Amino acid sequence: MERDLLRQALGFHGPALLSLLRTEQHDNPDFRGLLPPGGPGLETLPPARKDRGIDNVEIQNFIAKKADLLFSHSWKTNVPTITEADEENEDYYAIMPPLEQFMDVPSAERRELFFRDIERGDIVIGRISSIREFGFFMVLFCLRSGVIREIADLEITALCPLRDVPSHSSHGDPLSYYQTGDLIQAAIKDIDRYHEKLTVSLHSSALSPSLASTKLGVISSEDLPLHYRRSVEISSGLETYEKVLQHSLGFANPAVVEFLVGKLGLSESSPPSLMRRLQSQNFHEEDFATALRKKQSASWALKCVKIGVDYFKEGRHVDAMNEYNKALEIDAQNVEALVARGALYATKGSLNKAIDDFEIALENCPTHRNARKYLCQTLVERGGQLEEEEKLLNAESYYKKALNIDETFQEAEDALLKLRKQMQKSLEMREKQAAKEERQKEKKIETSVEKLRKLLKEEKRLKKKRKRSTSSSSSSCDSSSDESTSSSSSSSSDHKKRKKRDRSRSESSRSSKHTPKSSLNQSRKDDCYSPPANTSASFLNQKHEMEKLLERQDRLAYQKPEARDRYYSLPRTSLYEEDHGGRSEDSRDSYSSAKTQANSNKTEKQGKVDRIFFDRRESTGPCRRKSDDKNKTQYSGKLEKDGGRKEQHRKYSPSQTKYSTSPTGSDYSTKSVEHYKRYTSRWINESSRYSADNRPELAQSKREREPRSRERDPAQTQEVDEEAALNGKEQSGSGARKNLPQNLLNIFNQIAEFEREKGSKQKNQ
Amino acid sequence: MEPTVLQEGSQIPPDAKTHFKVCRFIMEAGVKLGLRSIPIATACTIYHRFFMEMPLESYDPYLVALAALYLAGKVEEQHLRTRDIINVSHRYMHPRSDPLELDTHFWELRDSIVQCELLMLRVLCFRVSFQHPHKYLLHYLLSLKHWMNRHSWDRTPVAVAAWALLRDSYHRPLCLQHAPQHIAVSVLYLALQCYGVEVPADTEAERPWWQVFSEDLSKSIIDRIVLDLIQIYTLDTEIS
Repeated sequence: MERDLLRQALGFHGPALLSLLRTEQHDNPDFRGLLPPGGPGLETLPPARKDRGIDNVEIQNFIAKKADLLFSHSWKTNVPTITEADEENEDYYAIMPPLEQFMDVPSAERRELFFRDIERGDIVIGRISSIREFGFFMVLFCLRSGVIREIADLEITALCPLRDVPSHSSHGDPLSYYQTGDLIQAAIKDIDRYHEKLTVSLHSSALSPSLASTKLGVISSEDLPLHYRRSVEISSGLETYEKVLQHSLGFANPAVVEFLVGKLGLSESSPPSLMRRLQSQNFHEEDFATALRKKQSASWALKCVKIGVDYFKEGRHVDAMNEYNKALEIDAQNVEALVARGALYATKGSLNKAIDDFEIALENCPTHRNARKYLCQTLVERGGQLEEEEKLLNAESYYKKALNIDETFQEAEDALLKLRKQMQKSLEMREKQAAKEERQKEKKIETSVEKLRKLLKEEKRLKKKRKRSTSSSSSSCDSSSDESTSSSSSSSSDHKKRKKRDRSRSESSRSSKHTPKSSLNQSRKDDCYSPPANTSASFLNQKHEMEKLLERQDRLAYQKPEARDRYYSLPRTSLYEEDHGGRSEDSRDSYSSAKTQANSNKTEKQGKVDRIFFDRRESTGPCRRKSDDKNKTQYSGKLEKDGGRKEQHRKYSPSQTKYSTSPTGSDYSTKSVEHYKRYTSRWINESSRYSADNRPELAQSKREREPRSRERDPAQTQEVDEEAALNGKEQSGSGARKNLPQNLLNIFNQIAEFEREKGSKQKNQ
Repeated sequence: MEPTVLQEGSQIPPDAKTHFKVCRFIMEAGVKLGLRSIPIATACTIYHRFFMEMPLESYDPYLVALAALYLAGKVEEQHLRTRDIINVSHRYMHPRSDPLELDTHFWELRDSIVQCELLMLRVLCFRVSFQHPHKYLLHYLLSLKHWMNRHSWDRTPVAVAAWALLRDSYHRPLCLQHAPQHIAVSVLYLALQCYGVEVPADTEAERPWWQVFSEDLSKSIIDRIVLDLIQIYTLDTEIS
């Protein structure tokens, strides 16, 4: 308890209060401590000054009961020493004239109180009454800081000595600057309370520190304080305090309470009360609205995370993501939600986002084990990605980061060691590669020369065969037409017709050549490009057909030239693989996108094929008799369409480097690479077998038939079925990938591995 | 608001204890919700006004209190969220319990608050803005401060005591029975009395200080209000 305060109260209320206090507060050790065992204590009290009112007993009772709160130290500290530094602003609160003006306090009391309360450093405003050689006298009429009093009629004079007048110029008397009647703002320097004499100064050093910026010296009448002007305004009339207050602008300010509460040092966050149960310092922090809301939000967010995790387990990743985002909206710092979302990002392949989430989670909760674990794993995975992208330094930093978070994380350590070895190797590798490229260039030139030679040989052979093939081919056609799913029966005449047409529209350079040559062209073309070329889908189809045909050829044992034809195309395909294999390794994301593209391409293709099939059916309907011819013309028309493009490819084919950069090359989706892979490997095996066989006669007819049947295939239902089957396989594949990303990753890795081997094998050949 | 006929101090209406408890709840919840003094005062006033019109038996006083808090937040431009109000009051009713889940039960509670708010507005004929003694008291304190010796002012927590008395006064519908100026003067008077502080030259002056602040105030009115204030604390000890 505040001893002084209690004394003050006791001095006011007299011994009656003390006895009440004794009974009410006897349990309070604080109060008993104040009662001295003897000597000058609370006992030595002057008699009560207050004449007893009816309510006085009640009030004393009240004081006695609430003494522990009223005189508590905590209340005392609530009152700060208020400085008057802030400029009065009429807008914030009502600035009232001094209270005594309304109370009509006699001037003698006011004068006495003024000299009692005035203090050094207070700012006074007065008018110069006389100037002497030792200074000037001023009559004070208002106060700016400290106490605000009505003193205008009190005729209080103050002396400003010469040494306290700052000189305004280097020479001359500083007092010459001032005139009688000037308004002067000055700081109180010295007070003689007994003789009621004041000394003021114009040096700002005389001011109290909080008011140091106030300008001292001559002021104009506009600079007079607001309360003084107010008091002058009302002094003439009979305005009451209430009216002035009500009419004041600041009183209507909606924030006036807030402003004045701050000015008077009252606390709104822990408001005072004389009720024991309302002592705000006794309230529990966790009972406050913000704490409760936080707790509630956290549990709500956790609920959302749980729902999200359930979705995630069901494979509904979008729903799960929505739930996680909702959880984070509710509670932005929710660690569980951040970890869960990070995990989802990681599974979706957005490793950087995942890392961000994990890092925020760890910031908020550095001890979260899952966050730490996942972050390490993700960092290592991301590092692995970067490694594949050949950004070895970045990868290294990711591994290091993972190790910083968890020093015992073995994966990261292994990866880091491996990476360092790789980095050492990479320099050597680079050199080797450069050398290899050189070698490869030479090799390529060689191979193209060889190829040309082979082509020429082939031509010659074909020329010979053509002469005697007419009869045999027609017979063989009859026998093989049953096997072929195509409804057409080819005849040599048809074939010739088509060839002729083909030739006639072919470029001038080609037309000058022999028929067999052109037929070779045709067959080769057909072999490599199914009618709607340039799409991955068509490639896939072709390969499937090829597979079938190859099987058939296994049964019929006269495939040598065919096989050889294929064999020619081998180096090219293997080259694609290298090309695409490399790309697919770049990043899994790009791979999957390419894959989906391939999917869409294929479905589109299927539709197209269907349509073509239909169109043809309708058009062939009326003239069924000549359906074969019709079909052929249709095909030739199609070939015509694609012809230009094919010619281009043909041109490219000799130079493989060129080919790989051609637009079609990029059209082959990485998906098709897989298929390619399988077939090429087959061809290699088979071609070696074929080369052992030697059945040139039958091969001729076969070769003639072969392209046509395959060509027509897309128009047939079988083709469509195959398409559908492929699509199905595709879809199931992608579904499996979603569910089992790890499995697929393994598969991809295997593929990549296989391709790499393949590539090197090809090169060595 | 004209001061109505005062009840004698000894006569406490039978429902007073319930209202006292609910007002205690409003104040405590208000502090926990971070409400300033004025919105809390408005909430209490709305509550008292409502039960001046309506019998206690027909309504759940705590629901009315919640709606009063919500409405007061709107009136005094310190908007509260019903979620916070429900959380704080749930915790008040069930100490140390976990906050409610945001389920249908929660939304029903919320709806009932909003419905009750509408009902109260209609009962009060949409007159929900009140003149509170707070800003009078603050200006009085400021004027008095300049007239008093600054050291004795700094030493004596008159402002804090007066502020506490004023806030506590809302346990009872004093604000509906007296003019705000009268209440402001009375709490100031009691605070000065408590610390034995005398206004300088009060006896020599033509008018006593409290007469300056309010022309129509008389010593007897102050005495009555002071007695009412003291009675609130008597009731407090009786209840708790």
